[in-house]
Amino acid sequence: MGLCWRLVPGQALRHRGWDTDCVLYNDLSGDTHLLSGEAMALLLALRDGDVTADELAAPELADLLASLRGLDLIEPC
Amino acid sequence: MHTVDSLTRAELGERLAGPGIHLRTGRFTTLLRSPIGSVADGIHLLYGAYPLQAGGFADFHLDLVRPASPRRWLRPQVTLLYDGRSLFKPLPLDQAFPMFEWGLNWCVSSRANRYLIVHAAVIEKGGRAAILPAPPGSGKSTLCAALVGRGGWRLLSDELTLLRLDDGMIHPLPRPISLKNASIGVIRDYVPGSVMSRAVTDTVKGTVSHVRAPPDSVSRAADTAAPAWVVFPRYEAGAAMTAEPLARADTFMQLAQNCFNYSLLGADGFAALAGLVDKSQGCRFRYGALDDALAYFDGLP
Repeated sequence: MGLCWRLVPGQALRHRGWDTDCVLYNDLSGDTHLLSGEAMALLLALRDGDVTADELAAPELADLLASLRGLDLIEPC
Repeated sequence: MHTVDSLTRAELGERLAGPGIHLRTGRFTTLLRSPIGSVADGIHLLYGAYPLQAGGFADFHLDLVRPASPRRWLRPQVTLLYDGRSLFKPLPLDQAFPMFEWGLNWCVSSRANRYLIVHAAVIEKGGRAAILPAPPGSGKSTLCAALVGRGGWRLLSDELTLLRLDDGMIHPLPRPISLKNASIGVIRDYVPGSVMSRAVTDTVKGTVSHVRAPPDSVSRAADTAAPAWVVFPRYEAGAAMTAEPLARADTFMQLAQNCFNYSLLGADGFAALAGLVDKSQGCRFRYGALDDALAYFDGLP
């Protein structure tokens, strides 16, 4: 069992996607991030509870989760 | 409403040196006062078609005055006062008119936060606007001057793209086009009949001159336009013309970097910029000849 992850409270995930990329407004920092469609899909899945702990523990997701944490979009829980 | 050219040069000078003029540019009214002759010269030459409001409210209060310091006997200077306060370093007196232009840009870019303000030229044809964001030296204003002088485009602004937050339309702010250094001669040759202010040398931007906005653009200052294209121009001497499509997310990020108040507006700025990018095609545009550039813009879908 790996870490549990959640959205940082206060993030509304305002975003807009075109083609394969998205832009996301960070409600806490006021920054705007350029994200891949995959990263955006993972954030939305975390928000909606559509991703399991086992999936989040997969090594393939480690870098992506770390980068999203670095942007203060998600946090361990 | 009267326009500036209803006053003779002498009358204008007296008004500026006395109660001032309420100069209307786009949605903004500036109460301008100055006893400096070159300011009156510049206003007389370049702002003749602009409305003069008969007193009342002004968005910005600007005075261009000669500071009373011992230095005035050696190297005369000019100071810009905003609401009676000096916010900027004095400049050589010869730069008084450019200082007015730069000061008015500062007023709008730092105060007009009901708009998302992009540091970009913007032109219109058929109700659709092309936005040209670019850093200094990229040839943005030169291209803008050529497009409105010979390409049949309407000038909305050569410097400040004002995107309304409520409906995503672009509000014009047609004012003189600022040219620097070699661009001055380029436009003088390329757009015969251009009315230009006296070139002022040794400014922080080099030699500068301002080109009068076309009268039709000034008279249509209330006609908004819908964003349709975002073109990041770059002039390279002798380069073949290229136009490389830009992904919308990249267009968004580059536009955000060129906004004056994107961060200040927060989520509203994000929504406004996303709406603009939804409606616009982005590209990186390199050109080496104005004829090629005009042909490209003429063919925008």
